[in-house]
Amino acid sequence: MSINRREFVKALGTATAVSAVGFPFIVQAGTKAKVVVIGAGYGGGTAAKYLRKYSPDIDVTLIEKDKHFYSCPFSNEVISGERSLDSIRFGFDGLAGHGVKVVTDMVTDIDAAKKTVKTQGGKSFKYDYLVVSPGVSFKPGGIEGYDEAAMEKMPHAWKAGPQTALLRKQLESMKDGGVVMIAAPPNPFRCPPGPYERAAQVAHYLSHHKPKSKVIIMDAKDKFSKQGLFTAGYNKFYKGMIEWRSAANDGRVLGVDAKTGTVMTEFDEHTPDVANIIPPQRAAAIAVNAGLTNDSGWCPVDQRTFESTQHKDVYVIGDASIAGKMPKSGYSANSQGKVAAAAIAAQVTGVKMPEPSYVNTCYSLITPDYGISVAMVYRLQNGQIVGVKGAGGLSPMKASEDTREAEALYARSWFYNIIADIYG
Amino acid sequence: MKTRNLSALLITAGLLAGAPAVAADLDAEMISNTCAGCHGTDGASVGQAPVIAGMNEMYLMQTMQNYKDGLRYGTIMERIARGYDKGQIMDMSKHYAGQPWVNAEQEVDSALAAKGKQLHMAKGCVGCHGANGISPIPTTPRLAGQYADYMVITMQQYQNPKVAIPPVAMPMRGMLAGMSEEDLKALAHFYASQK
Repeated sequence: MSINRREFVKALGTATAVSAVGFPFIVQAGTKAKVVVIGAGYGGGTAAKYLRKYSPDIDVTLIEKDKHFYSCPFSNEVISGERSLDSIRFGFDGLAGHGVKVVTDMVTDIDAAKKTVKTQGGKSFKYDYLVVSPGVSFKPGGIEGYDEAAMEKMPHAWKAGPQTALLRKQLESMKDGGVVMIAAPPNPFRCPPGPYERAAQVAHYLSHHKPKSKVIIMDAKDKFSKQGLFTAGYNKFYKGMIEWRSAANDGRVLGVDAKTGTVMTEFDEHTPDVANIIPPQRAAAIAVNAGLTNDSGWCPVDQRTFESTQHKDVYVIGDASIAGKMPKSGYSANSQGKVAAAAIAAQVTGVKMPEPSYVNTCYSLITPDYGISVAMVYRLQNGQIVGVKGAGGLSPMKASEDTREAEALYARSWFYNIIADIYG
Repeated sequence: MKTRNLSALLITAGLLAGAPAVAADLDAEMISNTCAGCHGTDGASVGQAPVIAGMNEMYLMQTMQNYKDGLRYGTIMERIARGYDKGQIMDMSKHYAGQPWVNAEQEVDSALAAKGKQLHMAKGCVGCHGANGISPIPTTPRLAGQYADYMVITMQQYQNPKVAIPPVAMPMRGMLAGMSEEDLKALAHFYASQK
């Protein structure tokens, strides 16, 4: 493709404008701006790729503790047996192909004063800009007794990978007539519709293989994402199989005893056959340790750029950040990664940061052929990310069967496209 | 690719002006890249959501406006389109129209495609959509190499008298009336088979 006249003029204009102000913060010839990205999930992978897309003069190093990334979106289909664990596992060769230096190591320390990160492997990386996209961690003491050992008995499966496989295995070995208990966390948490899609996916598996079984959602909340659509979907496909207990109805799980398989609430104790405990959450440990979080446990940022309000030149994106009205979702993280990449590219090259635009779409599958969604386009207003008035919202309650089927098709399409957008 | 060429040019421009660092057109990228999560990087969809890269600029603009105004059925696009103003829609339409078209990778049933070709000629689709699904009309979308599933879904909605249809596509309601799902699939496979 050749570039058109308008772009050519614009390009020249940019270069001239830059020279006129004497390159305020511009990399010197021969030295590239160094950006380090921590975490190769939906947020970090996107930021790394788009930094390279926006300017080939940015040197990008992506540090990720695992050799592969397992996607949380669509991991519920692994739990239901509709897809394999391999099908949600992605490598980083595509990112390397864009010139991203991929390092397999765990960041143990961020020194924002010296602009350096250190890793478990003993390496040290200097940066001009740091992008932190570490995801969530579980709040210490969020659920009493839910330690590392308990996770192996009562999986959270809220970070995809071995935990996903473990929950799947437990469902497979459960007897017909068993009870699956899903403990849903309080707000805010990663993937607001996730626990409720999971209930549907588990019920989908059970209804075909163990139809006398039950799913009980124990909730720390009194309402949840896409509640009307989920409830209608449960009634349509899994009548009598899924029960939801609100916080007001003693649904909030306070503790577990992994040895006896007991789940405890304020007034009761349960011994389900499979316990899927999704604990209360906060930003990942590295963000907490680096002083990027505030009292809420999440990372406050300038919502225009995602630069931390606590450390200069450090950008926090994805689930760990406080991003106004945006939910903690894969698509949010992808969208935020592009905004942060543009903010950094603008600074590096001395052009004006464009007015940010953000988007989120979350699909949920009630059955493999019955999808629902929530979507929103966001903009910045008085420093806060807000939904554009009149836009977005839920799939209609009264949509036709054809529409639900099309939404299921487009849900899968979304998965293929967003993964290609990040890792392709 | 557009970005690379633009960058290469900017490097040249930058060297002339003495500036080393360069960037893509961030304004156009910012607004357009919000679409990529569902429609693929630069609009080259690898799922069943339609390819929008290299689509007619006028068609893209009109389609977004139709979604916004409730004049076109979409599973989710009405909700999304209402998030963008006219200027943003113009920017993203221009941006995607400037990207290279990438044919959808999908399995095509050749028997269905052959039947579809006959329907395409006999039912008069050829009038607007061209001999092989590529049209010179600026408000008519390219169908050659588009996703078959998406085209079937769209045609089914165009058939349905209870569902909104873009004014420009109104003739299709009559033309598609009475066609079976098999017929629609045949048409879609014909267009999908074209490059």
